[in-house]
Amino acid sequence: MHFTPLPYLDPGSGSILIQIAIAALLALAVAIRASWSTIKKWFGIKSVKDEDDDDADDK
Amino acid sequence: MTTQTTNDGQLAASFRDPSGFLFSSGGVLYRQVNRAYEQEYTRLMESGLYEKLVKAGLLIPHVEVEQTPAESETSFKIIQPERVPFISYPYEWSFGQLKSAALTTLSIQKRALKLGMSLKDASAYNIQFVRGKATLIDTLSFEVYKEGEPWVAYRQFCQHFLAPLALMALKDVRLSQLLRVYIDGVPLDLASELLPSKTRFNFGLLTHIHLHAGAQKKYSGSVNEGVKSRSASMSKQAMTGLIKSLETTIQKMDWTPRGTEWGNYYDITNYSDAAFEHKKQLVGEWTKRLQPALAWDLGANNGVFSRVVSSVGSYVVSFDIDPAAVEQNYRQVKNDKAENLLPLLLDLTNPTPAIGWANRERDSFGARGPADMVLALAVIHHLAISNNVPLPQLAEFFAETGKWLVIEFVPKPDSQVQKLLVSRKDIFPNYSRDGFESAFKAKFTIHETVEIHESERVLYLMESH
Repeated sequence: MHFTPLPYLDPGSGSILIQIAIAALLALAVAIRASWSTIKKWFGIKSVKDEDDDDADDK
Repeated sequence: MTTQTTNDGQLAASFRDPSGFLFSSGGVLYRQVNRAYEQEYTRLMESGLYEKLVKAGLLIPHVEVEQTPAESETSFKIIQPERVPFISYPYEWSFGQLKSAALTTLSIQKRALKLGMSLKDASAYNIQFVRGKATLIDTLSFEVYKEGEPWVAYRQFCQHFLAPLALMALKDVRLSQLLRVYIDGVPLDLASELLPSKTRFNFGLLTHIHLHAGAQKKYSGSVNEGVKSRSASMSKQAMTGLIKSLETTIQKMDWTPRGTEWGNYYDITNYSDAAFEHKKQLVGEWTKRLQPALAWDLGANNGVFSRVVSSVGSYVVSFDIDPAAVEQNYRQVKNDKAENLLPLLLDLTNPTPAIGWANRERDSFGARGPADMVLALAVIHHLAISNNVPLPQLAEFFAETGKWLVIEFVPKPDSQVQKLLVSRKDIFPNYSRDGFESAFKAKFTIHETVEIHESERVLYLMESH
């Protein structure tokens, strides 16, 4: 993996490890939610569309 | 302004980041972009990110100029950013202002990630209020994003924004003042200790503050192999999830003041409507006559008189000691989309000091002046009586603070003054209209003296000499 040069601020070892752990946890939650909608689809239940437009406030 | 600079004109606050620095030449503020930052700067400008952020009012606009660099051997480019009318600091912001600054930072990070960049710092000092909106003023805060890298500014973001916001919302709003002591943000172990235990049931606060503080403690001083070899990685999707989690945690936090403080400032004074309107009319007339570029309203409450001044076109900094008043004032600024009014928290009896390295990183209240016009309405009795400041010292302070002074004298028989004297000895024989005028004449020329209708109060227009 190619990293950029070391940052000028110390990100802190603990801060790096915890954010990776939190992000992994969140990804897991997303995966569960995604498979949940697949399960619902099997039973013919419509899933709500994800609101994911960050650019809405650009206008 | 007398912002502190080093001998070569470099701004004293601008030394941490090797990407470049601010310098002042001929009264104009420039930013030198160093060669070491060439790749990132070019990416920011060419990827469309700069344009997108400026258009959204999230980043300060700049122009590239042909200016002699302050340090030519390291210089890549010189840019001239738009000048911010008044620099303020996070310990002077209300809850809502710090929250806006935090959300601006996250919003920038989300947009940057989409275009292959990432914020390499998340300092609250990089955010200023420009045209009423929290805006990033450090053009050199971006780095090229490499898939797999964690967010290097995560710790700083939690210390500068999340921890103080949580403490303000869930413990006590006055804890924002911890930022005045800790220049790199509230230490997370301290925040974790001070926050109520119920915050452990909030996913965002549990992870980003409590567990984060624990991880910092666990790994401090030890060399973690994963971090050292920089093999600890997270995908872009995971990074986006992290940013969204911080955003949701902050969006859910709120602080609304309770009790009599909220919303009824002018109901508890002894003003009649006629007196209030008369005062407004005088302030409006005098501002129109003087056309001050920068006005400071000291003891502004929720900013009623600041708005009279800003409606004439002046940029008004609206200071008050009460976090509830500043919050209410800021909400109105947001609501009105007001562009030339900045509410700030300030204790006049102990104004913002200069802090940071060599006491030169963040300016004191006084160093950011003088203003063209100062408003001191219904404030003198608090300083002279509650805080025992002798009248000649008050005159000296106001003369240093601004050229023109609109000041209201509140005489002793006034119920607001009587309230201050109810449980203490009256040791203020000179606190009278005559005593006030003679003390202020030593520093000012009094141009106007008007007795306010249906009141015993007097409004003065003075010019310092």
